[in-house]
Amino acid sequence: MTAPLREREALRRAGHEHAPSRRSPRGPLLAVGVGVAVVLLVLRLASPALGPGLLPDTLQDFVTLTISVIVESVPFVLLGIVLSIVVQVWLPQSFFTSWLPRQPLLRRAVISFLGVFLPVCECGNVPLARGLVLKGFTVSESMTFLLAAPILNPITIITTHQAFGWSDGILVARLAGGFLIANLVGWLYSRHPDPESLLTRSFAAECALPQQHGHGGASKLRESVELFRREMSTMMPALFVGAAVAGGIQTAVPRSVLVTLGSNPVWSVLAMMVLAFVISLCSNVDAFFVLPFASTFMPGGIAAFLVFGPIIDVKMLALLRTTYRPRTLAQLTLVVALTSAAIGLVVNYVA
Amino acid sequence: MPDLARTPRGPSRLDAVSRLADRWQGVLLTLVVGVSTLWLSATGQLVLYIHPRYVVFTVVMIAVGMVLSLGVLVLAPSARDDHGHDHGHDHDDHGHDHDGHGPGGLDDGSAVGRAPAERPRRPRRGRAAARTAAVAAGALVTTAVAVSLVVLPPATLTSATAGQRDVNSSTASLAGTSVEDAAGASADAYAAFSVLDWAGLLRQTSDLSFFEGKTADVVGFVVPSGDDPDVFYVSRFVVTCCAVDAQPVGVPVHLVDWRSQVSADEWLDVSGGFQPNPSSTSSDPIALVPDSLEEVGQPSDPYLY
Repeated sequence: MTAPLREREALRRAGHEHAPSRRSPRGPLLAVGVGVAVVLLVLRLASPALGPGLLPDTLQDFVTLTISVIVESVPFVLLGIVLSIVVQVWLPQSFFTSWLPRQPLLRRAVISFLGVFLPVCECGNVPLARGLVLKGFTVSESMTFLLAAPILNPITIITTHQAFGWSDGILVARLAGGFLIANLVGWLYSRHPDPESLLTRSFAAECALPQQHGHGGASKLRESVELFRREMSTMMPALFVGAAVAGGIQTAVPRSVLVTLGSNPVWSVLAMMVLAFVISLCSNVDAFFVLPFASTFMPGGIAAFLVFGPIIDVKMLALLRTTYRPRTLAQLTLVVALTSAAIGLVVNYVA
Repeated sequence: MPDLARTPRGPSRLDAVSRLADRWQGVLLTLVVGVSTLWLSATGQLVLYIHPRYVVFTVVMIAVGMVLSLGVLVLAPSARDDHGHDHGHDHDDHGHDHDGHGPGGLDDGSAVGRAPAERPRRPRRGRAAARTAAVAAGALVTTAVAVSLVVLPPATLTSATAGQRDVNSSTASLAGTSVEDAAGASADAYAAFSVLDWAGLLRQTSDLSFFEGKTADVVGFVVPSGDDPDVFYVSRFVVTCCAVDAQPVGVPVHLVDWRSQVSADEWLDVSGGFQPNPSSTSSDPIALVPDSLEEVGQPSDPYLY
């Protein structure tokens, strides 16, 4: 074999060991993509001809609200995925594990703040947490990361501050609550005799296998776009469904139902937790969502929403189910719900 | 490692479709959102959905997403040499085999097809059927939303939502213009007052002497009042982040039998002075009594901030 040929061969191996014969032609795929984009654009340009008043008011508002959720979440989702690609593909293997303290309590406390470097909302954190387990995190540490990172990260802190400022201790309750719950859950599960049994069988099997490493520069680029494709395939449909559910609830449930619950110190907390569970918004934007409720709900309800929502909701449970067993998730939900409710009540009665 | 082509069920047409959808739905939906959003921002209509301060961030991130999507098409391996299956245990690959299968199987057909193929488990018919139904419902919703993103003309929220959210129920947005500040303002300043300014003032004081001799000239859409047939609100939505959090504010207008002149959702330019509300059932003590009512088109920036 000549030198250049060998080099190319090595590169291919360093890449993903895709057999050369299996490589598909690139041109047509790009052409299809551009073609689809052009068709979408033409449709979009032609659509104003339909004129206004096409749908009845309520249906129109449902569509408007759904699109509004999507348009404001997609940039954050994209940002999360870009960061997740950087961490998973471009940073060295031991970037997040080598410098952590060894003492378990301290280690988990530091892990709670990893979100500062990974300002992703909770949905983006699930694949990341799985990756961290594969890189040597224990199950309990992965949970601490999962629960803390969506709250203790710069974007969430900034948006929550933009929405609420320092009023009523909502921001403080959210940050302290997130940290507390994440470390409580981490501590509880660190005492579990058989942490493997918390994981789904398929994920545990994956953890048991040795890892392979070694990537060339060119393949990293390919890896990045491949990761982008997979993440978007997971996230976008979830986001669309979540947006439609959120839009539907906003259209269907009159605010007055919630308002009557909102002024009671106990019911305001429970009602807002139910709302957070159903609506499944990302932690990066949920502060703005809940802001209009601030005038009708007691601050403890808002705080409970902001602590409970990022950790447990319909969408999040579905995502977590890929990694943890239903039993584990039931326990997790119970612990987080009780703690969030307690935090909300403390804010209502004390603050 | 098991490959899709070797699933026990064998390759069927449905399998192929769901595999294709599983693979490309992310890129496709990115293009859908990308094209729609960029078109909205190019035509100045992005503010119908989000606060202006997010427009630049949104456009930049969408552009990044579009570039990455095209990057996928240029660089990604084809379905035959599916990454996830060649390298299921590679460090970067953690679990996308399974993650890829969507939240609760809401979105993604292959969850049904692939998981059992990889790890043979006892089949549970009831659960599988429920899962298939959830997947179908998710796919339907996703498709419907995607179609409305591309096809439906952009719109603002209507009086239906305004009524449902209770006009002037939000106190936060109504505190912007205080009575003290407004007391010393000039006639020109009053002429420029918006629906939000007046609604805030009306909420803060019911002292008629404050409003005497002051003329309001405001633009907003018509929201019927729930408690009096002769009162409507000339309203605007106030937005803090996006249309999701829009709160309606409005100035009560007393006009006997207004329905014969205007209809709900119509945009009006209303001017007139304030008087004690003649209505006995309305909760607003003071109402605007219009000198002139003019139909106007929807402004290009329908929301207030």
